[in-house]
Amino acid sequence: MAKKLSFFIGISLVLSLCNAFNPDNPSGRRILVLLDDFAIKSSHSLFFNSLQSRGFDLDFKLADDPKNALQRYSQYLYDGLILFSPSVQRFGGSIDVAAILDFVDSGHDLILAADTSASDLIREIATECGVDYDESSMVIDHISYAVSETEGDHTLIAADDFIKSEVILGSKKIGAPVLFQGIGHSLNPANSLVLKVLSASPAAYSANPKSKLTQPPSLTGSAISLVSVVQARNNARVMISGSLSMFSNRQILSIKCPEGWKLNKKSGNEQFLTELSKWIFHERGHLKAVNVRHHKAGEGEEPGMYRINDDLEYSVEIFEWSGTSWVPYVANDVQVQFYMMSPYVLKTLSSDGKGLYSTAFKVPDVYGVFQFKVEYQRLGYTTLSLSKQIPVRPFRHNEYERFITAAFPYYGGSFSMSLIDYELRQ
Amino acid sequence: MWCADTCTCRFVTLFGFEQVAYMAIVGSFPFNSFLSGVLSCIGTAVLAVCLRIQVNKENKEFKDLPPERAFADFVFCNLVLHLVIMNFLG
Repeated sequence: MAKKLSFFIGISLVLSLCNAFNPDNPSGRRILVLLDDFAIKSSHSLFFNSLQSRGFDLDFKLADDPKNALQRYSQYLYDGLILFSPSVQRFGGSIDVAAILDFVDSGHDLILAADTSASDLIREIATECGVDYDESSMVIDHISYAVSETEGDHTLIAADDFIKSEVILGSKKIGAPVLFQGIGHSLNPANSLVLKVLSASPAAYSANPKSKLTQPPSLTGSAISLVSVVQARNNARVMISGSLSMFSNRQILSIKCPEGWKLNKKSGNEQFLTELSKWIFHERGHLKAVNVRHHKAGEGEEPGMYRINDDLEYSVEIFEWSGTSWVPYVANDVQVQFYMMSPYVLKTLSSDGKGLYSTAFKVPDVYGVFQFKVEYQRLGYTTLSLSKQIPVRPFRHNEYERFITAAFPYYGGSFSMSLIDYELRQ
Repeated sequence: MWCADTCTCRFVTLFGFEQVAYMAIVGSFPFNSFLSGVLSCIGTAVLAVCLRIQVNKENKEFKDLPPERAFADFVFCNLVLHLVIMNFLG
């Protein structure tokens, strides 16, 4: 009896897992939240509630719970992972660094928060994502700090150096600086996939507040990144933050007035984190391109081959995921290349406002196998990389002009020869 | 029959060289037209030379050949040559 029951439960579990991550719906619903202790669940409840109100199912687990698993029978159980466990030495269950990196490699999203107690495990995950945490020291800023009643060591700083991107941070400007207390990290400048979303002010530096500085700090100024994001080539998005308390209710609701603020106002943490989490979980900036079509001007169907000097038209439809549905994407900088080893034709597609991009051009005077290539990479958007192969043939022997201008001397020569012979016969 | 005098032969071959020089400048794009133009000149010159050789009374080899026969051959070969040239000209 118990065997039958577990069998049915197993079947229904597998069936429910099959339609869980729908490629038609890029914002997955299920998120695993790993915590150091369950007090974080209540002290950061505003952030978690904002996620749940957008439709996400949060699953709270302790980081060293031995029953933790990201996947079962090669199916991922979750679509996103939030690591709010900075001091964990070893994850429980079947989760480890390799499992988390495989999770990201398969296209899923990750939010990682650390602070001064960050363990080597968390640092290793961050390094694999392209971000290097500073060694056990906090970010101190003696100019843009927030007044705190407990410590006067200026480690609670107010940062407002945001990345300029409406896709990542929303179209509304973040009104107030973001409160931050934690460690900073640096990015490898050669890495083109990592972006600094929130950097420290030029007066900040990274050092241990309790000990005297013996030498100048290695990480200073705007090179310190407080929050960074990584958009991988498979469009997985990772957010790496140096402060866990940034997500806490206390700092979200804080209306402490730091030096330099004119009015008492709420910190920008809530708006910043809401907008950034929308971007991380693909509710914004996720593009898809469908319906790539090309045909000869005047005809409707797609030919298998073009001839040189043909006129052709190319069109593609691009949509953006709005969190609930696909809406047309409008931009004026999408380009198509007619490419064979190098682009022979490069044209900007014109949009009709409803997501249809089209253009018309003439096939170049070169024959070979070409590709219609659209390579679209913009800050904050997923990459569009489309390519469609099409051969181009030269003229057939009966497609030339009847009398070729370049050959008139030969025509003239042959006819004059026959005239000479006619005359010779007289 | 005054036909096939030296001047004609030289003029015709000069015409051929002129077409080759034109091809060297412009390129051999309609190569069939180039070949037919050049070969018509060369062919006409060759046939004219042949006629001259055959009609020349001092030439011992063709003593027994009546000049009318030589002329008829000349006409026939010219017809064939120009038929081919016109077809190949494109």
